[in-house]
Amino acid sequence: MKKIFAILMAAAMMLTCFVGCKGKEFEKDSEYIADKGTLIVGITDFAPMDYKDEDGNWIGFDAEMATKFAKSLGVEVEFLVLADWGKKIMELNDKQVDCVWNGMTLNEEVLNGMETSKPYCKNKQVVVLKKDIADKYTTKESLKTLKFAVEEGSAGEDQAVANDWDYVALAAQSDALKEVAAGTSQASVIDLLMADAMIGEGTDYPTLTKSVALTEEDYGVGFRKGSDLAEKLNDFFKKCYDDGSLMELAEKYNIKDTMIAW
Amino acid sequence: MFETVFKALMEGFGESLKIFALTLIGALPLGLIIAFGSMSKFSPLKYFTRAIVWIIRGTPLMLQLIIIFYGPGLILGTNIWGIGSKGRFIAVIVAFVLNYGCYFSEIYRGGIEGISQGQYEAGQVLGMNKGQIFFRIVLPQVFKRIIPPMSNEIITLVKDTSLARVIGVYELIHFGEAFIKSNGLIWPLFFTGVFYLVFSGILTLLFGYIEKKLNYYRV
Amino acid sequence: MAVLEIKDLKKSFGKNEVLKGISFCVQKGQTVAIIGSSGSGKSTLLRCATNLEKADSGSIAYNGEYLVLDIDGQQKYAQKEELSKIRSNFGLVFQNFNLFPHLSVMQNIIEAPVNVKKMSKAEAEKKARELLSQMGLSDKENAYPCELSGGQQQRVAIARALALDPEVLFFDEPTSALDPELTGEVLAVIRKLADKNMTMVIVTHEMAFARDVASHVIFMDKGVIAEEGEPKEVFYNPKSQRLQDFLHSASL
Repeated sequence: MKKIFAILMAAAMMLTCFVGCKGKEFEKDSEYIADKGTLIVGITDFAPMDYKDEDGNWIGFDAEMATKFAKSLGVEVEFLVLADWGKKIMELNDKQVDCVWNGMTLNEEVLNGMETSKPYCKNKQVVVLKKDIADKYTTKESLKTLKFAVEEGSAGEDQAVANDWDYVALAAQSDALKEVAAGTSQASVIDLLMADAMIGEGTDYPTLTKSVALTEEDYGVGFRKGSDLAEKLNDFFKKCYDDGSLMELAEKYNIKDTMIAW
Repeated sequence: MFETVFKALMEGFGESLKIFALTLIGALPLGLIIAFGSMSKFSPLKYFTRAIVWIIRGTPLMLQLIIIFYGPGLILGTNIWGIGSKGRFIAVIVAFVLNYGCYFSEIYRGGIEGISQGQYEAGQVLGMNKGQIFFRIVLPQVFKRIIPPMSNEIITLVKDTSLARVIGVYELIHFGEAFIKSNGLIWPLFFTGVFYLVFSGILTLLFGYIEKKLNYYRV
Repeated sequence: MAVLEIKDLKKSFGKNEVLKGISFCVQKGQTVAIIGSSGSGKSTLLRCATNLEKADSGSIAYNGEYLVLDIDGQQKYAQKEELSKIRSNFGLVFQNFNLFPHLSVMQNIIEAPVNVKKMSKAEAEKKARELLSQMGLSDKENAYPCELSGGQQQRVAIARALALDPEVLFFDEPTSALDPELTGEVLAVIRKLADKNMTMVIVTHEMAFARDVASHVIFMDKGVIAEEGEPKEVFYNPKSQRLQDFLHSASL
């Protein structure tokens, strides 16, 4: 009996530690960031928004904007690759990251679980399949018989569910592309931006091609629920739009057409 | 809510159990065959088998799953697994059986090589043939020797079944995670740990019981 | 006809020639003791005779049937059925007993009679009980080897060998692995077998035992039979210097 009690006590203490050992409490998220001096940006490897140059530095439209934003806050930027896109809200709440800034679709889950910026980019979800069968599947209706691979928790999965497609959910969009290229799935739904960067001639997936485009969606940046940083970012976006630096950057990464006016 | 979660997790656990059981059914005998190969007096066979064992034990099971499932399509240009969930599952079993067969083979080999030459000679002068010596004298003693390392491997297998979701086979962890995405519930994922704990606990008791049963003799 | 006849047996391990041409006969009812210092080739001789090692040249025959025959320098070994028939002529008791640890005393003894000789289990058990009572181990038939003392284990090993009714029984230093106080019980059993005219070949370091029990003593030295004869001759009237030195060092 004593032993059981001791074990229970130890377990309780550990739990309290998990919950309680957060350190200092701050009223505002911006104060917390300023105090520790870093803004940790949660990303995935997703050209042209976040990807590495030859020297291993993170570049891309989102990466550069995030760096500028951190500078405007007077803190260092740090990039952390999210191991599992599906757990991004959990990562935020656990303070593993301070924001998720990675061509993130503002879907219901994100809007409910995060404090988000206004949309800054319009993206489409697009069906990707093998070139040699592309002619046969040019309408949404014709896709019904295909087996899909999508990223779990992505806007692509939402599309698969909404259209009642037979699909398998994997950890990342790149895994979904791998499925289509290997022939273990017939089609995938991924971000148009990513499709442009990753498939077709001159890429690792020359046999794949874009097919039907699905709904449009907005990209935004997500912070912890209640964070004041979202509003600060809106102001920063507007400032950059006004002085032309935002469109300049969009030009650089060839995504000018998708930008939203501020 | 708990009931819904529990039901979903049970479904995932069923899938994990299926992987577990089929892997054992395949890998236990395969391991013995591989063990014979790696102890063969015919040295090309011996070195070939040992190279395979080295490759399989020297690379992560996760990578093996990816290569076995996607490799044929991506490297050879012909996907041999079809496009249904059945093909995925078979690929998982193939990868697991091969991987665990290699691990088991090394345990068997250690057990067989640990039996003293005197046991073989005693059988020989009593007129027993090779098969009788192996199955009646050597194997029962090997069995007792390998119970502790085997129970380690088999308990590792329980947890390794979670790797199946890398190639889209929905097992226990997948079902746990699904609740994070659909309902914003985190505890179901953590709760999957209880399933693994209970199952490995049962296995631990079972192996403890077998060990105790075999305690009547020393090898 | 001799129960065992060995002619010009040679055996090398690599460059080390362990047996340099051994010839001797064992007649029915004889108890032959083989003595000699370590490395003289005694155990190798026994292992060749029991087919645990293959001879390089020479021949070995049991009751005139060849286990191995030297035909113009080529070793021709008996095969399959012939071999198993020849093998049924002899038994071997090891220095380290080599009982099967996972089998009980009874199972150890009946394993070969039931599975090799295809004797019925009941018959094999009946015989095993007789042998165990001869060995003074009637109360141990359900014990496992790990529960027995070394002397008891060796007696079980002797019973196991006798269960196959061998015509000749080899002993490879049967008491060397035993504590001194346990050697007596094993020697007593062997002595009883000698009294019953069991044909035996015993490699041993127990000089007093060899002198008292053996009907014929072979002294081996550096791979050859250096001297042999009746125990009295060998022990009390050694002719060669090497045997004298050996007996002296064995402090008989």
